[in-house]
Amino acid sequence: MIPLRRAWPVAVLVILAIAPFLTANPFYQRVAALVVLAAISASAWNVIGGYAGQISFGHSIYFGIGAYASLLLFGRFGLPPIAGAPLGIVASFVVSLIIGPPTFRLRGHYFSMGTFAIAALAEILVVNWKFAGGAIGLMGPAMPRSLADLLFRNSLPYYAIFLAVLALLLALTHLMQRSRMGFYLRAIGAGERAAESLGVPVQRYKLYALLISGAFTALAGSLYAVMIGFVDPESGFGILISVNMVVIAALGGVGTLFGPLAGAIILVPLQETTNALLGGSGTGAAYVAYGLIIMLIARFSPGGLAELWPLINRNGRRRAA
Amino acid sequence: MILLQLVSDGLQLGAVYALFSSGLTLIWGMMNVMNFAHGQFVMLAMYVAFFCFTLLKVGPAFFVPLAAVGLFGFGVVVYLLLVRHVMRGPMLAQIISTFGLALVLQYSALWAFSANFVSLPTTLVGGVYDLGGVRLSAARLLAGATAIALTAGMHLLLTRTDLGSRMLAVSEDRVAAALVGIRPDPMQALAWGLGAAATGVAGGLIALFFYVSPDVGNSFTLLAFVTVCLGGFGSVPGALLAGLVIGVVESFSAYWLGPATKDVVVYGLFVALLWVRPQGMFGRA
Amino acid sequence: MSISRRGVLAWPALAVLPALSKHAMAAETVRIGYIEALTGNAAAAGQSIKQAAELAVEIINTPHPDLAPLTLAGTAGLPNLGGAQVALTWADNQGSPAVAASDALRLITQDHVIAMCGAYQSSCTLTSSAVAERYGIPYLAGESAAANLTERGYKWFFRTTPYGPDFAKLYLDFLADVAKGGLATGRIAVVHENTDYGTSVADSMVSTAASRGIKIAQRIAYNANGTDVSPQVLELKKGNPDVIIFISYTSDSILYLKTMKTLDYRPPIVIGDDSGFSDPSFIKAVGPIAQGALNRSAFVPGKPDSITYKINALFKKRTGRDMDDTTARSMQGLFVLCDAINRAGSTKPEAIREALVKTDLPASQLLIGYKGVKFNAQGQNILAYSLMIQLQGESYVPVWPADQASAKLELPFKGWT
Repeated sequence: MIPLRRAWPVAVLVILAIAPFLTANPFYQRVAALVVLAAISASAWNVIGGYAGQISFGHSIYFGIGAYASLLLFGRFGLPPIAGAPLGIVASFVVSLIIGPPTFRLRGHYFSMGTFAIAALAEILVVNWKFAGGAIGLMGPAMPRSLADLLFRNSLPYYAIFLAVLALLLALTHLMQRSRMGFYLRAIGAGERAAESLGVPVQRYKLYALLISGAFTALAGSLYAVMIGFVDPESGFGILISVNMVVIAALGGVGTLFGPLAGAIILVPLQETTNALLGGSGTGAAYVAYGLIIMLIARFSPGGLAELWPLINRNGRRRAA
Repeated sequence: MILLQLVSDGLQLGAVYALFSSGLTLIWGMMNVMNFAHGQFVMLAMYVAFFCFTLLKVGPAFFVPLAAVGLFGFGVVVYLLLVRHVMRGPMLAQIISTFGLALVLQYSALWAFSANFVSLPTTLVGGVYDLGGVRLSAARLLAGATAIALTAGMHLLLTRTDLGSRMLAVSEDRVAAALVGIRPDPMQALAWGLGAAATGVAGGLIALFFYVSPDVGNSFTLLAFVTVCLGGFGSVPGALLAGLVIGVVESFSAYWLGPATKDVVVYGLFVALLWVRPQGMFGRA
Repeated sequence: MSISRRGVLAWPALAVLPALSKHAMAAETVRIGYIEALTGNAAAAGQSIKQAAELAVEIINTPHPDLAPLTLAGTAGLPNLGGAQVALTWADNQGSPAVAASDALRLITQDHVIAMCGAYQSSCTLTSSAVAERYGIPYLAGESAAANLTERGYKWFFRTTPYGPDFAKLYLDFLADVAKGGLATGRIAVVHENTDYGTSVADSMVSTAASRGIKIAQRIAYNANGTDVSPQVLELKKGNPDVIIFISYTSDSILYLKTMKTLDYRPPIVIGDDSGFSDPSFIKAVGPIAQGALNRSAFVPGKPDSITYKINALFKKRTGRDMDDTTARSMQGLFVLCDAINRAGSTKPEAIREALVKTDLPASQLLIGYKGVKFNAQGQNILAYSLMIQLQGESYVPVWPADQASAKLELPFKGWT
């Protein structure tokens, strides 16, 4: 018999896999796809931001790279946008190798602000980069030319693709958690100097984490571009893209396998329904409601939702202390 | 001549950044809390100024102190109801809670005051001094002078007074401070109040020459974060100097390289400086 | 009336309870989705547009014989659909292209709108109209001016507003005319905010000027959310152009005027490309120091017995503000869409699309100064048109071309006294 502890992640994934098929409503199906997409980028951020405790505010640089890689390949060479995904991942490795070592010298808030400044730099450079559409941005195909364009009226195919990517990422994270790398990263997150003195190769493992994290964030960016069919500097590289990843991961519980997914399951539908219910009034009530709810969660459960639900996180109590 | 005008514009702008950042320095530096709602605090103070002027017909001599007092109270309330509780959690909890607060404040303002841009008349403190061809706006000079006074005041408070030492002690080590008989809560509430009050002064003065709208804070917030970080967290004079440096750098790079790329220089220098000095200009390592 | 009111009140519930929406549709209400920038950077404009569109719906739904010959004004509802009432369902794009696309999907699949309007920012119009295209729902853009919107070969996309190249032609024609009067206009500076709006209009300006053998003397791109514009003003002062064209949003327009005053710089001719300069808050904030600023507009209130004057009066009664070019363009877009639905005599998207293609409205039936509405194969209105207006006192007055002017053009730019 499989112990309950092992079975429940599988159960979560099974429920997720069938959930959107239970409704015929295209809007709900789209929200479901957006939930999984947000969960991918937040879980990717979690590898470096959660496990290794390096609070990056610059992850939009990876997201933007992925999105731009997809639409540049389409716009300039007529390839299907999804072909940009591998290119985006390769580019993300290059970026990680360039920005990783210098920023890893920074601690705490300085790391956050340093990564933020780098992403801000990237955004300005893209605005002034004519080849990549400059301020106006890049468009995807208007009408599908072939199946490879992955352009569907229905959101379910996107949902299925996103879920497969998320499952891969979570499986990798799970393996990592149990490996030496997971142990090292948690040691780094708990205190770099202590980890160093224990003989953890701190810089090297932070770089490994950043490479994984950046690659999956870039993949999320590519998938976003495929689904939305448009990206401009703000929707690719904007500070809000980074902040959203941080907020979703933090709300669910950082450094836990399912925390970012839980955060996305709560926050994305919350954003979408507050906008659907209150956005049309034009009063900004949607944001007020959204802001209040995340404030209340932070107020009553500072460690994220994972703190409330030990099942998500067996180490919950220790982490919140 | 243009060179002098650029320097003076840059310094005036830098003073505004320093002014805008002063409250943030105190809160961030003293308590290690990243207040994402800082820009919205300034926005509230700007509306206090605007409504004081339009409804009560009073000038800055009245509304700047009022904004300071009002924001002091607001800061204390925010500390007691929200920040005190999230401080027991990880740094991320502070980020999401103040981010939520920022949304609530900004969009409540949108609800209450509408999205329209409003502005105080340019004549309120509207003089322009012409010093041999270099033109200085009186409103910005006032802002600059206040920024320096505010910085000096906060610096003296923290380094020369008993109260300041207690606040610093709490920020260094809550538990140790409690052991020597300093109650951390009132000290931190006070720090929040003072930080917010400085923000109130800043908002009241910036309203004199800037427009007012619910999202006005966002224009300054990111640069304020960079300013505080560049100066070194917790260093009040550092933030002033960082503000001035950023102002002058922006002014020159906007003129020579074009305004669309000026931020490249600012952020580029910031990253370069962190590379050399990972703890900011005046931060403690 | 009661039908449409129930529809309006019930819609928030519909957004989450799709099962119920079928009941609302059972009534003969014609439901149009409107995506707008109700929050975010462009909220001020989006909110005004919402008020204007709601006024347009009231004019369509209730008889306003005094507004005839404006399309659909004289009758109650849409006569060819048995007097069916028009109702709008609003969605906020939050200034984000992804949100706009979500909005479009929700409006189409949950609220079952039969046609859509929107979405202010060109980037949001782009993504939301792509969703409409996939679902085969007519989409009418009354505000967004980026050239690429009508270059996509879409079947369901129509745009009533003039766009970049139209504006560039207007300015150059105007300046050529001014030059005949003896004022130099050869050295033109273009100052534009660096997102899609400013960049695309500036690009049109540069290429149209080049086609006439004119080289733009200075081109300055800047970030509209910036905190200071002194360096730009200094650069202009040094370049000393004959004409400055600002392609700016509201906040930056306000800062430019304030800074020009501080640095005592009065260029001979100042043109503001709509948006920022047209915002009523701009006039309120810096009107006294922007005297003589020129602007383009397709809307002029006109004489007290004209349709435009009366509509403006209705708008002012509701909001306390005058209409501006942006609100008028949106309103006109909605009227054109409703006219097409009425002519289609059907709520079937395909029939509406066919009616839109056949649209041929004369200027007399419009509330705005276009020469008419007629779409080309790309869906662009080929009769869109604007005229030049000038800030004199507390409002803009039409000054060019001469046959439509109600006040004398006053040059050079006076600014402040």
